[in-house]
Amino acid sequence: MIEIKNLTKFYGNNAAVKNISFTVKDHEILGFLGPNGAGKSTTMNIITGYLPSSGGKVLIGGTDIAENPSEAKRKIGYLPEIPPVYPDMKVKEYLKFAAGIKGIKGAEKKAQVEDAMEKLKIKDMENRLIRNLSKGYKQRVGFAQALLGNPEYLILDEPTVGLDPSQVVEVRNLIMSLKKDHTIILSSHILQEIQAVCERVVIISHGEIRAMDTIKHLEDSMGTSVVINIKAEGDREKISACISSVAGIGSVTEVIPEGDNVNTYKISAENDDVRKDILSALVKNDISVSEVSSERPSLEEVFVQLTASAPKKRDLRDLLNEMESENPYYDKEEQ
Amino acid sequence: MFSLYKKELQSYFYSPFAYVITALFLLIFSFAFSSSISDLSGTQLTFSFPGMFYSNLYFFIFLIPALTMRMFSEERRTGTEILLMTSPLNVFQIVIAKFLAVATVYLTMLVLTLFFPIVTAATGGGVMWSSLACGYLGFFLWGLVCLAIGMLMSSFTESPVIAAILGEGAMLLLVFIDGIKSSGLFESLPKAAKVIGQFSTNERFVSFSEGIFKLSDLVFFLTTIILFVGWTIISVEKRRWSRG
Repeated sequence: MIEIKNLTKFYGNNAAVKNISFTVKDHEILGFLGPNGAGKSTTMNIITGYLPSSGGKVLIGGTDIAENPSEAKRKIGYLPEIPPVYPDMKVKEYLKFAAGIKGIKGAEKKAQVEDAMEKLKIKDMENRLIRNLSKGYKQRVGFAQALLGNPEYLILDEPTVGLDPSQVVEVRNLIMSLKKDHTIILSSHILQEIQAVCERVVIISHGEIRAMDTIKHLEDSMGTSVVINIKAEGDREKISACISSVAGIGSVTEVIPEGDNVNTYKISAENDDVRKDILSALVKNDISVSEVSSERPSLEEVFVQLTASAPKKRDLRDLLNEMESENPYYDKEEQ
Repeated sequence: MFSLYKKELQSYFYSPFAYVITALFLLIFSFAFSSSISDLSGTQLTFSFPGMFYSNLYFFIFLIPALTMRMFSEERRTGTEILLMTSPLNVFQIVIAKFLAVATVYLTMLVLTLFFPIVTAATGGGVMWSSLACGYLGFFLWGLVCLAIGMLMSSFTESPVIAAILGEGAMLLLVFIDGIKSSGLFESLPKAAKVIGQFSTNERFVSFSEGIFKLSDLVFFLTTIILFVGWTIISVEKRRWSRG
């Protein structure tokens, strides 16, 4: 379990991360989502012990990263935003070195390096200079490095950046497969990625946590309403009346003609469950339905809504404090 | 820690880097050697190896920063610093491993210069080995001081070139402390001159090169090395805190 408690980080006077707290449970993939510059990388650098925090605590499986760094770091595999590879080394040589500084010795080292290369599919590159590898391969070498030492926790900062679409799928599958042995924090600004891989997301913007929940809950929180699309053949009036007669739904909001006597009816409903009722009502009236689908507000919309707005001022005093810190000419004495 | 030491050594010896510098170093040495021989006159026909070391000090100021300039600046620039800093190694171990690696390269360069006294002995010349050993020890210690300074400069900046120039500046200052001490201004202030003289590496190097081993000189060199290595540890650690 990774616990992050009231973590704060200042760069000079700028707060990059403001008092954030969250917990990552064992064998969970937590998505860390936010626009560029939201404080994702800073947070991850603090969790892994690269940067010290300005305030707050990070506990890695119960070990404080600030108080007992060497023990805590042993439990973490980290893939930073830019893969930390030496251009002048060969892939295998580099991985052996990385295993060495993590304190892995002898036969164990060899086995782990082979295993990591196998998992990332870079075995055929083992004797190439890293300098000559493409961005995607460098990324994978960096990822392989994170797996060495079989750490309990994997911190992956944008692991699929720079990969081509088929590699992205491979890496996602790899991450899913790592779940059974590791606990993973994955950051990304790509929604599909988070949606595909993570169970829970933390959405961060301007250094503050905006939301922290499972993806399904987040989408539900946008309002439970769904839009049901039904493509059916038959008389328009009759079908509309038939649909409207079902309890628990609003009226037909839109009818889109699709062809000869075929229309798509858009219905807004409280939830997905009414779909069955509508269908059975239509079937009872001998109307043939060729397509049924439902749309819900996507995570994308949730994301945009949560991250777009600047943080709200809690009260006037906060606003004044901010003005004071932003304006160097502001003189307290004048008050 | 040994892995890091090994990797650092490889980074010197797997690239042309160490070879080019060693070759240049030996070239400078051989010039000094051949000019010493051609200058021989009189009945005694002697020349001193430590004297050659001494005249090489000035060239060394440009060679040593080339060895040390990339030690930390390159790691920071390529982002590989993160790998080291998030490994179970602490900053102390990282700095020591890197310093030992560069010291090993330097030692290799020095060992290769043994070629010259060996040739001298083999061709019938007499070599005072005990005095020579003392001279080598002095030269080695003096070099370690310069390496420690160069390493410190490398931890200050992200650019290897700036690290090299800063290192050259600092080493020039070290070499010219004697000159500053004997300048007109400090001649008139004997007490201040004495204080400055305490920091001079040249005087201590000279006594080594004359075959005089003084514990106080050894302690001076060792404490200076510890000072700069320690400062590097603090500097690297500090960069972590003020990054951003």
